[in-house]
Amino acid sequence: MSGVWVLGERREQTLELLNAGLGLARELGTTVTAFAIQDQGLAKTYIECGADTVYLLGSLAPEQPLEDYVPVIVDVARQKNPDIFLISATPRGKEMAARIAARLGVGLGSECTRLRLDENKSLVMERLMFGGAAVQTVVCLTRPQMATIPPRTFEPAVPLANREGEIIELPAPPAGKVRVLERKPRVQESVDITEARVVVAIGRGVEKQEDIELIQELANVAGGELGCTRPIAEELHWLPENRYLGISGQKIKPDLYIGVGVSGQIQHISGIRDAKVICAINKDENAPIFEAADYGIVGDLYAVVPQLTRELQRVLKK
Amino acid sequence: MPRIITCYKWVKDEADIKVDTSSRQLTLDRVGYKISDYDRNAIEEAVRMQEQHGGSVIAVTVGPPSAKQSLKDALSRGPEEAYFINDPSFAELEPAQTAAILAAVIKGRLEYDLIICGEGSSDLYAQQVGPRLAELLGIPCATYVNKLALEGTRINVERKLDDGIEKISLPLPALVTVLPDINTPRLPGLKQVLAAGKKPVHNIGLKDLGLTCEVTLNTTGILAATMERRRLRFGAGNEDIRKVVDALLKEGVIA
Ligand SMILES: Cc1cc2nc3c(=O)[nH]c(=O)nc-3n(C[C@H](O)[C@H](O)[C@H](O)COP(=O)(O)OP(=O)(O)OC[C@H]3O[C@@H](n4cnc5c(N)ncnc54)[C@H](O)[C@@H]3O)c2cc1C
Repeated sequence: MSGVWVLGERREQTLELLNAGLGLARELGTTVTAFAIQDQGLAKTYIECGADTVYLLGSLAPEQPLEDYVPVIVDVARQKNPDIFLISATPRGKEMAARIAARLGVGLGSECTRLRLDENKSLVMERLMFGGAAVQTVVCLTRPQMATIPPRTFEPAVPLANREGEIIELPAPPAGKVRVLERKPRVQESVDITEARVVVAIGRGVEKQEDIELIQELANVAGGELGCTRPIAEELHWLPENRYLGISGQKIKPDLYIGVGVSGQIQHISGIRDAKVICAINKDENAPIFEAADYGIVGDLYAVVPQLTRELQRVLKK
Repeated sequence: MPRIITCYKWVKDEADIKVDTSSRQLTLDRVGYKISDYDRNAIEEAVRMQEQHGGSVIAVTVGPPSAKQSLKDALSRGPEEAYFINDPSFAELEPAQTAAILAAVIKGRLEYDLIICGEGSSDLYAQQVGPRLAELLGIPCATYVNKLALEGTRINVERKLDDGIEKISLPLPALVTVLPDINTPRLPGLKQVLAAGKKPVHNIGLKDLGLTCEVTLNTTGILAATMERRRLRFGAGNEDIRKVVDALLKEGVIA
């Protein structure tokens, strides 16, 4: 067995997985191996931050997708038999993990948010199911025990003193069948919704895009940022995608969350579970959001929001 | 003309799940079932492609015999026939098993150019069946697709990823998993529902597969995710709004 392996799509995610991997390896009395993508400097960083071995993946041609690394990674995994293999749950990471697991004929825990070892030193993974209504605990019966881990689940590993490790270069993968035609990087948004102290989220109860202004005023007075439900971002495209909250979107921990015209389906609630206070405005008294709220206001948002904004203005003297 | 397979899962409707907060047990006996949300997008995309280019659409599902209820719903959405792979032991399959069963059926029995799956199922949301199936069939795949265009013997797709859009081109046969914003699934009308009852369904049992589905992932527990909340209710009157604002001030969450 060759210990705990980690593969992150980018530096930040690799460091987070390294941190998780180092904890497991300590308990198992084994080593940690990381993959570095095309960059010798990164390989050195990973060693400084605790990796014993780094596999340096060879360069891809511009038209090759990241997933072309799958066969190369599967080859080393077959030779070295890792005990645990953690992969970052970015979209590309999730595809690669599933394909690696299929080729190795092993189980894979998807988007695991907690990891621990049981008395037999097997990896116990916790993940959400039913849109976040339940926590499923799974154990792999095959080796390597594989899991994908959402970004920011663990703190990044930090540089340690006097680190030494081995960098092993792997061959550049041959071109697969898939060709990349174009990459359009996402326009970086200036706000990080996960950092906001107050988040006012809009749902489909808001009828028109212009009406967002009304909610924006509330957010301004409350000193918060606008968030939304998945359909507002993905179907209506009223707000950027990194503003939607939920199991497949952002997970936030603000002091205050105010849901405006949000029904509160479990997939959305999963993203706001850790808010200190949850407030909801919905005209349907049976909307599920009221079950998840501390303060629920039953009423038409078009009447309630202006009142709430005014009242906040008054008490906060804004 | 593309021969398209679309795979779907019949799942418990998570909105019906009741929770006992003290024991954290889930009450599942009264839940309704549905075609997994994003699989409806997969079926819709397959049917749209057929409307555009001709060819055929076959719907395939793996599940327990009770998933028979799903066939009419699936077929009313446009596919002309369905493969229903069922066995009582198929109630709680893990993604690796579902992919292995689908692969066994597709390899032996179906000719295809394109397989369309949903991004993930609304129960497990493991997002593994699509890419695993592609590997088992030895065909290229593209996940998280929100645009799809057939270009001769290739398919060009746009993947929506965390760092932006990636346009890629795959030779057929290929598999794609689609995102919910790729289309809006149509609501079948009475005519479509009636016609669905007459469409052919091919039943395939475990013994027809010649396959043992090894377990690789063991579920050791399922507990409700609970949350402590006050659940106070207010009306829309001025008086009530004041009370809420006062409470928020006292909680120290606004300043
Ligand atoms: C696998 C999967 C993953 C998903 N992931 C996510 C996720 O990460 N995040 C997410 O948000 N969703 C997610 N969803 C979708 C989720 O299930 C819901 O469909 C979505 O959250 C609903 O959005 P909504 O509340 O905006 O819309 P709706 O459910 O349509 O609710 C609108 C609400 O507005 C209220 N309303 C209407 N008019 C007014 C008015 N004038 N005043 C006050 N209230 C009004 C209505 O009573 C209703 O409750 C996912 C779904 C699946 C299947």
